[in-house]
Amino acid sequence: MAWPKALVFLFGGLCLQLATVAAEHGNPAEVAATHGLPSAAPVIFHIGPLPVSNSMILTWIVSLLLVLAVRLGVRTMKDVPDGAQNFWEWLVESLYDFLGGIIGAELVHKTFWFFASLFIFILATNWFGLLPGVGSIGYGHPTEHGFDVTEPLLRGANADFNMTFAMAMVFFILWTVWALQANGPVGFLKHLFGAKGGLGGFMGFILMVVFFAVGLLEVVSILFRPVSLSFRLFGNVFAGENMLEAMTHLGGAKLGWLTALPFYFMEILVGVVQALVFMLLTAVFTLLICSHDEEPAEDGSHH
Amino acid sequence: MSHLLILAASDAGPVAEIAKIFGANVPALVANSISFLLVALILKKWAIGPIQKTLEDRRATISQGLADASRAREDLAVAHRKSQELLLETGAQTGRIIEESRAAAARVTEIETQKAIAAAADIIAKARHSNDAELARLKAELRQEFGRLVVEASIKVTGKILTLDDQKRLAEETQRQIAA
Repeated sequence: MAWPKALVFLFGGLCLQLATVAAEHGNPAEVAATHGLPSAAPVIFHIGPLPVSNSMILTWIVSLLLVLAVRLGVRTMKDVPDGAQNFWEWLVESLYDFLGGIIGAELVHKTFWFFASLFIFILATNWFGLLPGVGSIGYGHPTEHGFDVTEPLLRGANADFNMTFAMAMVFFILWTVWALQANGPVGFLKHLFGAKGGLGGFMGFILMVVFFAVGLLEVVSILFRPVSLSFRLFGNVFAGENMLEAMTHLGGAKLGWLTALPFYFMEILVGVVQALVFMLLTAVFTLLICSHDEEPAEDGSHH
Repeated sequence: MSHLLILAASDAGPVAEIAKIFGANVPALVANSISFLLVALILKKWAIGPIQKTLEDRRATISQGLADASRAREDLAVAHRKSQELLLETGAQTGRIIEESRAAAARVTEIETQKAIAAAADIIAKARHSNDAELARLKAELRQEFGRLVVEASIKVTGKILTLDDQKRLAEETQRQIAA
């Protein structure tokens, strides 16, 4: 009984604080808007022709940490696992079984390395982006409400469209390779445009025309997959970071951490869900093109 | 390459505008692709590959162990059955051997007993024969002694000197009397 009462008081206090802030600074939405993240990741420095943005710095840090974690965890594989090896084995085995149940044993054996890497990388970057200091340490200027960081040194890797689109494009290339390996060039075209059902005569001709039109739609759908995949992940992470920043500013200097706290938990969840969604969608897209069973492929290809 | 990037590079149209808003650019895209691919390949080489191999090896070891255990259980059951059969067979053989031994022992005992009885009878007969001989000898000696004593007594009583023939005849007569 003590916990619900404490939560009610906490929520009441939070509302009171938000009302006070809103009264002092005008509309909360306006307050949030003034501190929103720029949609493009700021460039911190250049390496030759390569503009290095703050999200790329975070990407490299996470990549290095992942490599370090892997080397430390599974450098020497033991028959009886312990510590970090246990964790990595659990992660890999769980993902393998999970994906195997969806795309089948043969396909998962071939493509697992990519989907697992995708999930681990997206999850690691999403969660690393939630650490204190990411987005809050960097260049800026003092304002009447405190120091305003305009160019943070670090930014969530997936809050940069370049990162999410890069992953989507890598997948697109691999998808094409796997599709051609599974079907062959002619089979690939048949898979897209071929008439299904085995009807002959006039109905067969009609179906051929219909399926060719469906194939054209399918091609458009396939071409837009990298865009939809990348914008989905980017939008969720970018919106999450904006929301956290808005909530932090809404709470003011003293209670900013408290107003943002519930949303941090939500972002932890969003980080997992988005990593899972990206991995699952790419896996299902691969299954649809590599599957030789025509019925599920046709059903699924329209989503 | 996606049409989004192509249009972004040409800097024309709404797609280019969107790309500009979100800061999409080819160098960053390539750098991020390389970064991600490197991470994926490193994870594949150092984590996913070895872990999958370890898991497969472990699965193989476990299934091999289970198969071995199952085979060992079967072997144990077979060995147990064989040992039971051997025990039963050995028990039967032992019984037979014991019975045969008992029979042989009985036979030997019987033979030896018979031999002992025969030997005993023989010893008894010999002893009896010896006794009889000894008795006869003693009787003969006794008769001779008694005849001699009779002769001596007769000489002393009669005061007469008996001839050797008389002595002989008296002794023989005495012996005949005793024997009768």
